[in-house]
Order: sequence, then C-alpha cells, then structure tokens
Amino acid sequence: MLAVDVKNIKKTFISKQDKVEAVKDVSFQVKQGEIFGLLGPNGAGKSTTILMLTTLLSITDGSASVLGIDVSTKDKEVREKIGVALQDTGIDNLLTGRELFFTTCRLWGYSKKNSEKKTIELLELVGLMEAADRRVKTYSGGMKRRLDLGLSLVHSPEVLFLDEPTTGLDPGSRRVLWDEIKRLRDNGVTIILTTQYLEEADELADRIAIIDEGLVVAEGTSDQLKAGIGGDVITFSFENTDYLENAKNILKNTVQEKNELRITVEDGASKIPGYLKDLSSNGVEVSSVSASKPTLDDVFLQVTGYRLEGSEDIKKEEEKSKR
Amino acid sequence: MELNRSFLLQLQILTKRMVLRVVRRPLAELPNIFISAFFLFVYDGALGDVFGGSVSGTPFDFANGNFVNFILPVSILSASLSGAASGIYLVEDIESGVFKRYQSMPISKWAIILAPMNVGAVKVLLQASLILLIGNIIGADPAVGAIGYLVVLSLAFIGGMGIAGYSVAAGVKSGSSQGAQAATFLFFPALFLAPTFVPREALKGWLQTAAAFNPTTYLIESMRSVLVEGWVIDVLVKGYLVGGIFAAITLFLAVTSARKATEKA
Repeated sequence: MLAVDVKNIKKTFISKQDKVEAVKDVSFQVKQGEIFGLLGPNGAGKSTTILMLTTLLSITDGSASVLGIDVSTKDKEVREKIGVALQDTGIDNLLTGRELFFTTCRLWGYSKKNSEKKTIELLELVGLMEAADRRVKTYSGGMKRRLDLGLSLVHSPEVLFLDEPTTGLDPGSRRVLWDEIKRLRDNGVTIILTTQYLEEADELADRIAIIDEGLVVAEGTSDQLKAGIGGDVITFSFENTDYLENAKNILKNTVQEKNELRITVEDGASKIPGYLKDLSSNGVEVSSVSASKPTLDDVFLQVTGYRLEGSEDIKKEEEKSKR
Repeated sequence: MELNRSFLLQLQILTKRMVLRVVRRPLAELPNIFISAFFLFVYDGALGDVFGGSVSGTPFDFANGNFVNFILPVSILSASLSGAASGIYLVEDIESGVFKRYQSMPISKWAIILAPMNVGAVKVLLQASLILLIGNIIGADPAVGAIGYLVVLSLAFIGGMGIAGYSVAAGVKSGSSQGAQAATFLFFPALFLAPTFVPREALKGWLQTAAAFNPTTYLIESMRSVLVEGWVIDVLVKGYLVGGIFAAITLFLAVTSARKATEKA
C-alpha cells in the first residue's frame, strides 16, 4: 500500500476580489518508509499541498489518500495516522516543554501514567530533557523546532508531514534535525517534507518533486533528476551583455543566469574547445568557462528557468560553520 | 494501549492548559480587578454621602441609606467584563498556530472552543466574588440577606457569559487578539448608558431611552433589587430573562463563528 497517493489535486482560493489558484495540478506517490521532498520556492504551493493532505484544507479538485484513507472524506481516520509539524509552529510559549508533551499525550488519549512515561521518552528523543521545565519562550529556534517535531510524534504516526522543518535554523541545529528525520525514516516512518533548500532535499529526500507555480515540474530521485538533464553543465561567463547576447544566438539551448550562460551536453569537457572556437570566430570574448556534473541547482534552473533563492545562503552558512 | 478521548476529558485538559496560561500572566488580570474595585471606592467616596445615609427620608433616598449596596452592581458588572478574555484566549491560539495544531489532531472542535469560555466563566466568578468581598468589607448589606450575594453572583455570571460569547464571536471575526480587545471595549460605555448612579426614572429622556435598550440596565436593576429593596420578583425575573437572552444570542454567535473557523477553507 502507498503511504501517500496524490492524484491531480487543485486548490483555488476564491474571495470577493480575487481568485487564486494556489495548487494547479499536483500528483505524486510516496512509498511507505521513504522521505519524499517537495522542493520549491515560497508561494509554489508546497504548504497548501501539505495542508490539504493533512486534512486542514479542502481539496478543490482531484483526490488524495494517506495509507489508503481518503483525505477529503475521512478526516478523523487520516488524523489518527499522521503527525504534522507546520511551518508556523503552533507552540504555547507560556508552558514548559514537559507540560506541552504531557498535555499533548493526554489529548491523544494516553492515561496520566503513560503520558508521564511518554513525555520523558520524547523529551529524551528530541534532546530537550535538560530544558524540560523551562518555559518554551526561553527556547532557541532550533529547540522549538525539535519540540515541534517531538509533539508530532506523540502518537507514533506512520506518516509524518513536515513543512519547512529547518527554515531559519543555524547549520548546527539543521544538522541535528536532519539526523533525527533520517533516524525516523530508518525506524519505518514515512516522511513528506517541504523545503526551499536544495541541499536539504539532496541530503534527506529519497525522492523529490519540484513544485513551481502550483505544478509538479519534475520528480524522481536526486540522481535521476540530475541524470535527466543529461551529461555535463558547461558554464560560460561574459564581461558584457553584447558578448552574452551574441553567444546566446551562437550556442543553442542555453539557460541564462546573470552574466552566465549554461549549456548541458554529453561529455562537456571535450566539447569546450569547439564552442570557444565558434564564439571566438564570431568576435565573442569569453571571460571564463567550466564544465561540471549537474547539481540539483542545475536541475531546478533547467526545469523552472530560474535559480532557487536561499540555496546559496544555506551553502554559505554551512561553509561559515565549518570554518 | 487503551486510549481515552472522551469529550469531557479533552475539555478538562484544554481548560487546564488555559488556566496555566492565565496563571503565568498574572499581571494581565490586574487592570480589570483594579478598575472594578476602583469604581466601587471612588463612586462610594464621591456619592456615598450625597445619596447615602444622610438623605434618609428625602427624595434622594433611593439607596435606602446604604449607597454601597446601590453602586456595588456597577463594579460587579465591570468585573464581569473579564469574561471578554475568552475571545482573546481563543484568538491568541489562532494567531500562534496552536489552534491549527489541535485541529490536526482527533480532538473535538467543541472542546477547543469551549475551553477558553470555561476559563472566562471562572474568571468572571472569581473577580465578581472578590468585588463582592470588598463590597461586604466596606459596608454592603443585602436587603435579602447573604443569599443576595449568590443572586448577584449568578447574574454577574450570566452577564459575563454574554460578554464572553460576544468576545469570541468578535475575536474570530476580526482574526486578531487586538480586534477582540477593541470590540469588547464597547461594553465599557454600555456600563454608563444605564442607571449607573441613579435610578432609571432620574435619568434624562435620551439616556432613559438608551438605558431601556441596554441589557446592562436590567442586570444592574435586578442586582440592586436584592441588595437594596428585597425580593422584587418582576425586576429579578426581567434581569435573568434579559441577561439570559443576551448570553444566549452572543453564545450562539460565538458557536457559529467558531464553527466557521474550524471548518476547512
């Protein structure tokens, strides 16, 4: 049985002034025990998709099921099976971590004794035992995210939905959370996470769907997606726009980004001299050229026509933290 | 493992959580208690001698010689405004995302909505009791005896629930805790468009008309009846009836607006 089966779901928000198609057509399937990443920029429709799958938003059209249970008609049954940690973490800052776990355990129906036991287990699991009796308002961003993750695990869900779980976290906290997510997957939990970080999708997700403007524009494993754009990526840099514009006419099927042109070809290194000769004979000066294996960044650029903002930031943060 | 998810247990757990929130912000409770007690002292201090014991037997003797009995309902109703906190608590949960977390769990939506109203009700009773105690200390002496305090408390509770219902409806509608706070501020002038300082007959024409359409008037008059005059059944019945209808309407509005908020968009 599939963990999640999404078939052509759509979400349209209609107000008096406006009609917004937040999700135009999204389909994907998630197998049990895998991490599935929904990658896309802000406003792509990732969070709306998650809200529909977690029964918090109605589906305008199409259908979706979690562990074979229809999301639209069987809210309660779906909620029993899933854990949810949304982007805007709903955490009561005035309570302590221990009180929050205990209250959540009790709400899931555990007895007082079992709630106390489970609270300790979960506090240890997410590494918050030492801060257990401090009010949540004193927690750091990373601690709050771990608490949020822990709260979504109270009832040992089979499927876990995480909406941008590491946004705004420092590299250290992000790593801790990544390890925790992987550990959950290794214990058999299916995880559907949204992210706008390419590295996060690459590091965590067994399979990735790239969402742009409410549509799934590519789907597969990271390797499949990279292989899908074919061969190597050759990047040409130009000092002025005249050279760049001329080069665009000479080199076919290029993708422009600022003062660079990228072209994806088989065996890139061997083709560079030929390209340089063509450009030079047309009076185009190239300031630098390089060939590399495609990254997820290249895949994103190829399928959407633009680069995902924020992925550079996470790289810089990682490098800074290593120094 | 056996799980217990009964409605009453969920309501109890969520109410306890709300109580913890209130206890952790004690300063937030002070202004309303202070204002209510302040009204009692200041009005008694300023008007007690004018309309109090010294006017016995004169046309100004509507307090039957004890102005504290006469003015106490105004402070009690001011304390009942603390019921407005219900809407603010609910909207705070919506704003913080806690409401959405509970919605993603198999919890009764009624438990989520009723928990802040429970806490509002308890607050109304506690604050009104405190004002009654202060009133007793400074000279209140119900004409019907100590049972009069229970009657006043029950009327305060009904009024408080009406305000709680209104604040929940206004809060959910406005979608912000400031909106809920601003909307409930309307009750403050309502406290004065009523026979606050003198009986209704002594008010000017326009104010008398406004007072006639103000539910606060009937709550004040019914409380006063047991404190100042004795068992005046028709006035008492009117108080319970008008207060009850007011509370029923606002609670209905609260339930319908909160139900909309819990529905899927």
